[in-house]
Amino acid sequence: MDLFLDILRGLAAVILAYSFVFISALVNIVFERRTLAFMQDRLGPNRTGPQGILQSVADSFKMLGKEDFAPAAVDKRLFTLAPIMVMIGAVAVQLVIPYTKGWTSQDLNVGIIYIVAVTSFTVLAILIGGWASHNKYSLVGALRSAAQMVSYEVPMILALLVVAMAAGSLSLNDVVSFQSGYQWFVFYMPLTFFIFWIASIAELNRGPFDLPESESELVAGYGTEYSGMRFGMFFLNEYAGLTIMSMVTVTLFFGGWEGPGQDLLVVYGVSVIPFVWFMLKTYALVFALVWVRLSVPRLQVDQLMAFAWKFLIPLALVNILASAAIILWAPQWKWVMAGFSWVLFLAVVVLFDPLQRRMLRRRRAKSPMLTRG
Amino acid sequence: MDELFAPTVPDEAMALALDRVRRGAETGDVSELDGLALDQVILNMGPQHPATHGVLRLVVTLDGEVVRDVIPVVGYLHRCKEKLAEKRTYYQYIPIVDRTEYMAGMNCEWTYVLAVEELAGIEVPRRAEFIRVIMAELNRIASHHVAVGTFTADLSPLGTAMAFYTFRDREKILDLLEEAAGARMMFNYFRFGGVRFDLPPGWEQRCRELMAEVPKWTDEYRALVEDNAVFLSRTIDKGVISQQDVVDYAITGPNARASGVPHDLRRTRPYSVYPELDFELCLADHGDVFDRYKVRVDEMLQSARIVQQCLDMMPRGPVQEGSLRAPYVITPPPGSAYIAQENPRGEYGIYIVSDGSRYPYRLKYRDPCFINLQLLPKLMRGNKIADAVAIGGSIDLVLGGIDR
Repeated sequence: MDLFLDILRGLAAVILAYSFVFISALVNIVFERRTLAFMQDRLGPNRTGPQGILQSVADSFKMLGKEDFAPAAVDKRLFTLAPIMVMIGAVAVQLVIPYTKGWTSQDLNVGIIYIVAVTSFTVLAILIGGWASHNKYSLVGALRSAAQMVSYEVPMILALLVVAMAAGSLSLNDVVSFQSGYQWFVFYMPLTFFIFWIASIAELNRGPFDLPESESELVAGYGTEYSGMRFGMFFLNEYAGLTIMSMVTVTLFFGGWEGPGQDLLVVYGVSVIPFVWFMLKTYALVFALVWVRLSVPRLQVDQLMAFAWKFLIPLALVNILASAAIILWAPQWKWVMAGFSWVLFLAVVVLFDPLQRRMLRRRRAKSPMLTRG
Repeated sequence: MDELFAPTVPDEAMALALDRVRRGAETGDVSELDGLALDQVILNMGPQHPATHGVLRLVVTLDGEVVRDVIPVVGYLHRCKEKLAEKRTYYQYIPIVDRTEYMAGMNCEWTYVLAVEELAGIEVPRRAEFIRVIMAELNRIASHHVAVGTFTADLSPLGTAMAFYTFRDREKILDLLEEAAGARMMFNYFRFGGVRFDLPPGWEQRCRELMAEVPKWTDEYRALVEDNAVFLSRTIDKGVISQQDVVDYAITGPNARASGVPHDLRRTRPYSVYPELDFELCLADHGDVFDRYKVRVDEMLQSARIVQQCLDMMPRGPVQEGSLRAPYVITPPPGSAYIAQENPRGEYGIYIVSDGSRYPYRLKYRDPCFINLQLLPKLMRGNKIADAVAIGGSIDLVLGGIDR
């Protein structure tokens, strides 16, 4: 009987996790389209339902109604496997996320490592899908994706290690409780947050790191041969990834569900208000992701790699070494850490763009000027 | 060559690309392909591809991310424009000229009308000359809007935003053109010996107000992309056209001026009232992708200046020579004429031969895009595929003109 209950509970959790992925994807698609439209001085989808909020529901019905089509040349088994696999990361990450006070599905003591492990499934699915499609655009897109993920997972993990060192635990619940009292990590290690956030944008394959599917070069990258709901799975995963990755970021750096009025409304031992705070913070970050996508042009492959290996990883290494030393030796280490991190963070943010532009201007001044004919 | 990536249905261009790869592999002669490796993938870009701005097809040989060879295939938009001329009266052909380089209909029409006027010896009233210049320059701004917008859209979603801003401003110009000509893109506005309608009441004032806005537009575009380090690093020193290339390949228009070649038919072989107008040639020094973008934005400002001057200098009077309003048939004496004008994309020429009948005996286009296209393989070779897309966008091709 107990086993039966366990299976039932597990099934319910899986269904919940999947519905969360689907719903957040549907919400994010409309959210992004409307936000982009607002920033691009146009209307965006505003016909289906009030303010167009049902647009992506209609779109998903359209995709469900399409023929389940696979081109003749594809490797059928892998071609089918990839869209199924692609969701694993987004669903499995939810296992360890503390949604609210008293609600974590499973408080793993290796939560942070678990997150890194399961999110890597996405790139595997993309690689399989791109290879199985038997299409050159797909293959180039998939290989780009693999190269990008491998490069950006390094700074991401280096940033996560700083969090783990500071909290003294790999469990996400411990990380959240360590930040209680509004001592959020983002306040005294902004540099770590910055590195993690950039790497997470690259993990999400979003602009400016959307090379795997850069539509002006590779049409749709790894998804070129996919149509109907198979394409829909890739698409939903990409947009659900916005929420999932933002939830991870909030948990690690923004104090998780922490906010005023924690115990006002408690249902069956689960506080509701912190969940609202959690989602609010998450969507603030989702908005930031949309904003970034619109504001920065797509990088080129070599520039992308150079940014990861020549800039982000050295910065992350300096960060982790200094942070480790500070945590180990400094008394009142939070203040020292805040000083170190803010100084370096501001230096990077303020100086990076002007320096880059100055370098480019110099290169331009040096590059041979064409003589007037 | 991996069998998996051999083209399944080799057509002529694919076969040519494959042949070049094989030849390079066998003979070791890689001069044609700029250092050929064995693991090459032949990628077919287009005719349906988001980065080709129409139905241009590029058969690209890739070595990893690097473009080794490009074979452009044209003709997917071929509509027999030149042959059609032989079965249309001179009047009937005017709307068809609009559809060659459809982004700059006014400029195309003007070239055709001017060629026929030269053949038949028709005089144009002074007011009509000014209206023609105004229309052509307005259309030049609108055309550069599309060029800059789609080029930046090739780079990123940021560019997509830029494209929306440029298209928003282009709409305002198209509204003006619609008011005057009755259509937004396919104008059918020019007539032999003048233009079809006089300007509607209040139009000049609205045009003046709009032209005063142009500096604001260009400032906005510049603020959006030119301060952006990523945009700069994607465009600077990419796809450089040397001045020798400009001469060898007969490149004209903003692409030539971006390389510092001061070739602008409005200045070097002036026609209409351009000698009376004060405007600068927009030149740049490096001839790279960034310069081609910059020259186009600069030219919008100069065009706005020209329009403002024309509005000031325009006299009152008829807009078409009265005797030409009817009948709608003209029969130029036997002979031929070649007229070239500064189109937004370069030297747009029409060669026309008359045998004295109601129809042209022969009509031939010299389209700037078709000529500029020939440099594309040379520019793209050795660049990353993302750069190749940016270079293609910066050359600004209009397939209606290329395929005719």
